[in-house]
Amino acid sequence: MILINCPYCGERDQSEFSNGGEAHVARPENSENLNDKEWGQYVFYRDNPKGIFYERWVHSHGCRKWFNAVRNTSTDEILAIYKLNENPPSKESFTNTLKTPSGEPKVGSGNFTVKK
Amino acid sequence: MSAADNKNSSYITDKEVSFKFDGKKYIGYEGDTIASALLRNNVRLVARSFKYHRPRGIYTCGIEEPNGIVQILNEHNEPNTRATVKQIYEGIRVSSQNCWPSLNLDIGSINNLLSPMFSAGFYYKTFMGPKGFWKRIYEPIIRRTAGLGKPPKEFRSKSIHQNHNVDIVIIGGGLSGLITARKLINTQYDVLLLEQDSFLGGILKNSKKIKRINNKEPNEWINETEKLIKDSKNIKILKNSLVTSYNFTNHLIALEDKSVGKKIDNNKSELTLHKIRTKHTILANGHIERFISFRNNDLPGVMLAASFEKYIHRYGVVPETSPVIFTNNSTTASLLKSLVDLGHKPAAYVDSRSKDKIGRKFLNYLEKNNIPFYINAEVEGCDGNKKIKTISIKKSNKIIKVKSSMLCISGGINPDIHLFTQSKGLVKWDDKLVTFKPDVSFQNTITLGSVSGNYNYEKTVEEINNKLSFFKTKNIKLKIELNDISNFNIKELWETKHERKSNWSKSFIDLHNDVTTKDLKQAVREGFDRIEHLKRFTTNSMGTDQGKISSINSLGIVSKILKKKISEVGTTTYRPPYAPLSFSAIAGRNTYEFYDPQRKTPIHNWHIENKAVFEDVGQWKRPWYFKKFEMESMHLAVQRESEQTRKTAGILDGSTLGKIEIKGKDSLEFMNLIYTNAFTKMKPMSSRYALMLGEDGMIKDDGIVCKFNDKHFIVTTTSGGAPKVLADMEEYLQTEWPHLQVYVNSITEQFSTFNISGPKSRDIVSKVFTDVDFSNENFPFMTFKVFDYMDTEVRIMRASFTGELGYEIYITPNKALELWKKIFHFGKAYDLVAYGTETMHLLRAEKGYVVIGQETDGTVTPLDLNFNWMIGKKKKDFIGKRSLTRSDTSRDDRKQLVGIIPIDKSEFIEEGQHVVESERLPKRITTPVEYLGHVSSSYHSPNLNHCIAMAMIKGGNKLMGSKLFVSSTYGTKNIPVEVVSPVFIDPENKRLLS
Repeated sequence: MILINCPYCGERDQSEFSNGGEAHVARPENSENLNDKEWGQYVFYRDNPKGIFYERWVHSHGCRKWFNAVRNTSTDEILAIYKLNENPPSKESFTNTLKTPSGEPKVGSGNFTVKK
Repeated sequence: MSAADNKNSSYITDKEVSFKFDGKKYIGYEGDTIASALLRNNVRLVARSFKYHRPRGIYTCGIEEPNGIVQILNEHNEPNTRATVKQIYEGIRVSSQNCWPSLNLDIGSINNLLSPMFSAGFYYKTFMGPKGFWKRIYEPIIRRTAGLGKPPKEFRSKSIHQNHNVDIVIIGGGLSGLITARKLINTQYDVLLLEQDSFLGGILKNSKKIKRINNKEPNEWINETEKLIKDSKNIKILKNSLVTSYNFTNHLIALEDKSVGKKIDNNKSELTLHKIRTKHTILANGHIERFISFRNNDLPGVMLAASFEKYIHRYGVVPETSPVIFTNNSTTASLLKSLVDLGHKPAAYVDSRSKDKIGRKFLNYLEKNNIPFYINAEVEGCDGNKKIKTISIKKSNKIIKVKSSMLCISGGINPDIHLFTQSKGLVKWDDKLVTFKPDVSFQNTITLGSVSGNYNYEKTVEEINNKLSFFKTKNIKLKIELNDISNFNIKELWETKHERKSNWSKSFIDLHNDVTTKDLKQAVREGFDRIEHLKRFTTNSMGTDQGKISSINSLGIVSKILKKKISEVGTTTYRPPYAPLSFSAIAGRNTYEFYDPQRKTPIHNWHIENKAVFEDVGQWKRPWYFKKFEMESMHLAVQRESEQTRKTAGILDGSTLGKIEIKGKDSLEFMNLIYTNAFTKMKPMSSRYALMLGEDGMIKDDGIVCKFNDKHFIVTTTSGGAPKVLADMEEYLQTEWPHLQVYVNSITEQFSTFNISGPKSRDIVSKVFTDVDFSNENFPFMTFKVFDYMDTEVRIMRASFTGELGYEIYITPNKALELWKKIFHFGKAYDLVAYGTETMHLLRAEKGYVVIGQETDGTVTPLDLNFNWMIGKKKKDFIGKRSLTRSDTSRDDRKQLVGIIPIDKSEFIEEGQHVVESERLPKRITTPVEYLGHVSSSYHSPNLNHCIAMAMIKGGNKLMGSKLFVSSTYGTKNIPVEVVSPVFIDPENKRLLS
């Protein structure tokens, strides 16, 4: 269970929050001008990377506010939290701080416990 | 040749406690565990093994026990309790598990002789056929003979949960844990010290390895330390608290047993589950001894050497005064000395190490005390019937037989790295210690003492001062004197060479799951050479003990077979929990009515008085139907309720309906975006049936929208969908349209709702609300009025979910029951009937109204339900608009809503059945039978006196009037049906608008 720092309430247990998937996917304003493929991209396609991921959270059992977070999906570390109207931190600012439990490969979910 | 007492033990009191094991009465002392009390009474046979039903005895003295697992009869039949952990109390009744008819004579032990059948992976290889045998024959037999205790019949809630937020958690109150705590006394840090036992001290209590600390007896030093900690303001001790998991962001779960050594009190919680958040975790949880595999290394009487030592010093019981000791390392020296100091003489000392490694000093000691010893020797095996009789020692290819009833073994010690690896820390193989030890921690984790691979007690203080130097504390100074001065050394040994004597002879690697070293070899031969595969194929280390004394041994054996280094073989993944914990500990107070709260309407008690049968709708309790008399069946009740409603009038308690109030200057724009309908031209004080879609164009929810004016709306949602609809509205307001000034608020529980409908409903409401004009001209369909009544505000909307003339009445809940009774008072003259959700569903189906979640399943668009008229096509945008013209949603052959009736009116169509083209299956099926759709609703209509059904059928709109077939669970033929319009009653809306 991870700890999430709600920008409005402070640090709370993960069980108070709900995840809202990838962040910064804006709803197209002029959807009538989009073809099926472009519209389908918005409705159905989301990224699911291993590593740095910008995602949305809502404090559903708290203040009910939405906010954004940057999470390392391979370690569950939350690297940054910012409000909806704030600019997202650049990806480069995290690459040096990344640590994985065991120098895992870029793809897959290798569960290594022994240092090689 | 039997057990003796050690009167010097500081822990056990003189108070006698009587207890029963398998029906026989024994006497132990207060503080004894079941295991120590049984050993005190010379009881060696305590269990039968998992698969082969072999006799087993107590093997260890703690949480790592693989054999001594028992059932506590007087604690609601609590199964799988560790005899080495559970303390006895007056009157405890314990029974052995997995044996029949008795522990001594177990018929299942025939499995042992049939063992060639039960080799590695036998579950996957045998019992393959004939068809149906698994379910009816094999599985029931296996479930009865293999396995653990019997589950308790009733679930009991026996724990509470507690949260902690601290700076530092110290896990383990042994030597390193106590020194660390002393260092942190009266500092700025908030500290929690967790100890799994009921006392502090760890190694200091378990052995006599340490002589003096700061010139004090260890016990004196422990008491002094405990007092200092208790007097400090910043450190809290939790005893009997076992840390079971170490999660992300330093989140720990510890289980505290509050009923240790006490009879359980059904009115008090026995367990506390501590959920701990900490900034730093200090692991000082020590080590666990491992065993060695040899022939019959599971016979009752074989015990780990350190555990034997624990029984002597902790519980004051010497399980056997002249055991054989077999070791490959230096830790057993203190056991031998303890025995000698108590005046006992081991039958033999067997050491696989060479002279140089053992050291001249210890050899002299053995010689001086006349102890028969064998160096460079191994135990080949042991023999006996339910108890060791002889032990075969192999030295330079000669077998020497020694008589003794117990054999103490030590294969080395492993740092207890479970919690460290759970925290995602990495471990490293240490060639000198011949084990894995923590290397890089992933979280803020510090390991101290033997868990970090530091087996030298003299260096503990130095290690602690070094590793904790970043805390704002002073360095601690302590002088630790040892009884046992030799440095740790070990010779790698996993399994001794032995001859196969009979089918009965086995060399075990996992005692709990009955896995032999032969199984490991066979698994590798069959290609399961990856450790994770091998574990699952052989079930090695998958018992409730998780292979605590044996998993490293299996890596050693596998590495030898594969000719690889152990570090290359790697370990399996350590997962929480560290030790089993009962479901009730996890559940805490979230049980029964507290698990999921029940929501009741203000009319609930009236429903009970009127024999309502309830249905769960989300958390709500809704009347399903009302019994007129006790024996009335649901079918009869529903037919009666719906007939009466169409004849005169019926009333439904619709208070569970979700209600959301929308206010703000941009409310109109918001409503236009959220719902498919167009609200701009809608007149104030009118209402409209509305649909809500997802961005994929599929129907999410429906409801009625009441428009007060452009800045104020109230919408209803389905009873189960209300929280989700509100959450979706909030999400769009915050994320997509923050510029809109709109406020949304749930008012579900602020208003009770009654739906009264039927041709006489106008007459009834006119008598209740005498000031309101209910005439068709002044109160047309889909309008509403708000007025004062009974000192409160009442809103009445003319709407209907039955197809009859109907009104929805909204009133504040504390006046609701009064009004409900009033309506019945005036309704009596018209035979007003209360109806439940089943009749509601029947009545709406007769009229062809859909239920979201019954006709729809998240793959249905409004077009599929012929709801084109509800779509505001002129609106620029609304959620899901673009998706309605996607290539998929505009296909002609999508499943569309139709009505179906059986051609033979006496037949009944079942909900969920498939709609197909032919009456019978072809004799030989060459291609799959085409599935056209499914029946979504089906009822017997009392008003038409035949079955009516709704179905979602591919291209249904074009199939009107055609003949299709519906499968059924009875009979061999499919039922012929006709596709008709889903509106079965009053298609001209005469009743609705009357």
